[in-house]
Amino acid sequence: MPLGIKPGRRARASRRRLSIVRTAALAIFAIGLSAMAGSLAYYLPSAKLAWDATGQVITSAPSPSPSPISTAPSSPSPVPIYQPGAFTVLLLGSDDDSKFSADHVLTQSMILVRVIPTTKQVIMLSIPRDLYVPFWAGGSGKIDGAYSYGQAGGAVATVEQDFGVHIDEYIWIGLLGLIKLIDAIGGVDVVTSNPVIDDYYPQDIYDPYPYDFQRVAVLAGPQHLDGIHAMQYVRSRHNDLQSDIGRSKRQQQVLLAIRQKAKQVSSTDVPSIAAALGGEIKTSMGLSRVAQLIPFAATFDNPDAITSMVMLPPLWHGGGPGGSLTPNWPEILALVRQYFP
Amino acid sequence: MISRFLLGIGLVALMLVASFGTYTYLGGRHSKVAVVAQKPTAATPRPSAFTLSGTLYLSQNGAIYSLSFGRFHQLTIEDGWTQPSLYPDGRYLLAVHRTYNYSDVYILTRFGQKIQLVVNNAGSANNSDTGSKHWSFYPRLAPDGATMFMSYDEPKFGYDVPFSIWAMPVNGTISQGRIWTNSIDYTGGDMQPVPLPNGGIIYTKYSYGPDGNLVGQIWHTTRATPTGREGEPLTDATDDCSQPSLSPAGNAIAMICTYERQDTRLEIAYWSGSSMGPRRPLIINQLVAQPTWAPDGSGIAYLAPGVPGGPFQLWFLPKNAYNPPPPSPTPVLTPTPGGPYHGTVPSPTQAPSVVATLVKPIQVTMGDDFDATSPLAWAP
Repeated sequence: MPLGIKPGRRARASRRRLSIVRTAALAIFAIGLSAMAGSLAYYLPSAKLAWDATGQVITSAPSPSPSPISTAPSSPSPVPIYQPGAFTVLLLGSDDDSKFSADHVLTQSMILVRVIPTTKQVIMLSIPRDLYVPFWAGGSGKIDGAYSYGQAGGAVATVEQDFGVHIDEYIWIGLLGLIKLIDAIGGVDVVTSNPVIDDYYPQDIYDPYPYDFQRVAVLAGPQHLDGIHAMQYVRSRHNDLQSDIGRSKRQQQVLLAIRQKAKQVSSTDVPSIAAALGGEIKTSMGLSRVAQLIPFAATFDNPDAITSMVMLPPLWHGGGPGGSLTPNWPEILALVRQYFP
Repeated sequence: MISRFLLGIGLVALMLVASFGTYTYLGGRHSKVAVVAQKPTAATPRPSAFTLSGTLYLSQNGAIYSLSFGRFHQLTIEDGWTQPSLYPDGRYLLAVHRTYNYSDVYILTRFGQKIQLVVNNAGSANNSDTGSKHWSFYPRLAPDGATMFMSYDEPKFGYDVPFSIWAMPVNGTISQGRIWTNSIDYTGGDMQPVPLPNGGIIYTKYSYGPDGNLVGQIWHTTRATPTGREGEPLTDATDDCSQPSLSPAGNAIAMICTYERQDTRLEIAYWSGSSMGPRRPLIINQLVAQPTWAPDGSGIAYLAPGVPGGPFQLWFLPKNAYNPPPPSPTPVLTPTPGGPYHGTVPSPTQAPSVVATLVKPIQVTMGDDFDATSPLAWAP
């Protein structure tokens, strides 16, 4: 025992030291807990929205015209090409304005996307919305109706059945969703291929009379587009000889521009983006899958590794029922089999 | 020893600071992708900032700005003003005033005051048919100062709304206008005319290329040919070139070419007045728009994003980048006066190797969002 220190004093000193350590530990714990609470408060609203939008279960509703049509193509069995980690996503874009009930919208845009992580390749194939196909649950019609009759599950099952592909995930986005997404990431840079002029463009966004028209003029050349003008560019089809096919090409351009811009988004942007999108986007991907893919998407840098395709004649010819396009199935299936196992 | 009460108060305060601090910190850690562009006038030029010669006119968010001596001045309010171009004598500006469903052309002073409405496309207020209205874009005056060329959506056929190049007296009315080009249906038509000193125009014609894609081509025509053959293309369809700009001397054309990609190249070519020489790429790794020659020949200004995917900023490519000064003359050995020398000749020192200086484009602005569909006007 050191000289000059009595046993009682030592115990008090020890208690005091313990009290300081305990107070410091308590303070650190409190700071940590509060920081977590602050983070939770920051991310919780977006997490809730993301939770609602992701992990959608694919369900199919029965078709309203269940009589099977005998022209259904025989689905080819997918060619087993082993591409580790590769997956196929079906992108669906809908007019979800007030002209339609929320459950029965058409898909104005349908794009099959194959992502091959090992080679950092992306293959995009736009399916014409007017293609006349057998629906999964029976009956036939333009492929844009598959979602209307069976929601995402109906669209996925119809594409899988008719094109002989396996779809791993789907992403659905509404008109407003695309506008809000592009605005939330601060706009996109696009080289618009030509002046897109439309004297009868539907005035159905932010307008109480969805059957009115407005004039649209998106001029040609490189430019920074906000959500509204990007939407006008990808949606207008009246002044394009290729109509839906022409706008499919434009949709792919904007899609790639969004991917380019999304590379600059940080995790702290997620709440504002999620808040902007609220309810306008749905996907079968789970949150963890989305979290995996966001940084992964940033690694796809080579524009030459991105293959964009639209279906042109002779893959189809006009004159189908109700102005639809009649598919040339052998040609379509040969193309699809080449890129989408 | 601290009392339990004070300890509790301290901890609560600490927790409040920590939670609010974390929330605020995360909120402040946003990336800059969605930052709203500033007005060009908001930026304070640094003393060492690069200054362009003359006065440049640009458009942002529906307002026209001038840039002179390194400072921006807002000339119009933010109300659809775009595509300024100068009178040949530089006294006035032509500009487009774009509204929701149509666009008009005005003459403005160089300070932005309206002088005269040249083209009124509002149509009748009683006609609710959206197809009854018109767009006028890219107004440019011919060197005579009296004839205005522009892209105008007449004639149009229901859903097919192609622009044609029109010429009209700048002090007249559209009824005195004359259609110059025969645009291709369902393409968007003919855009961005550039009047030439010899009376013709070069412009961009949109068409369906060999692969079925819509592409731009630079065309040249010397006369009004609303029907039939109207001159000749100066570029190939697959090169997808557009936005021509004539050099002040009239002997070179700058343009952008995309080769049908989401990418552009700034290219220049010799121009004889009727034919174009081989094109030379100057910039290949930027999304270049609206190249414009400096009136004093010191370089080419253009718009391009400051960061990939970002809004368009003003850039300048100095002349030395595409027209380097001639190398210094090779020294010629001159005989030493005083007759032949019989001593030891010193070995010559190695001449320094000539290294070509890479002249890079200069980013003039940051944080702006210039309208990349609006050509720049540049006064001496």
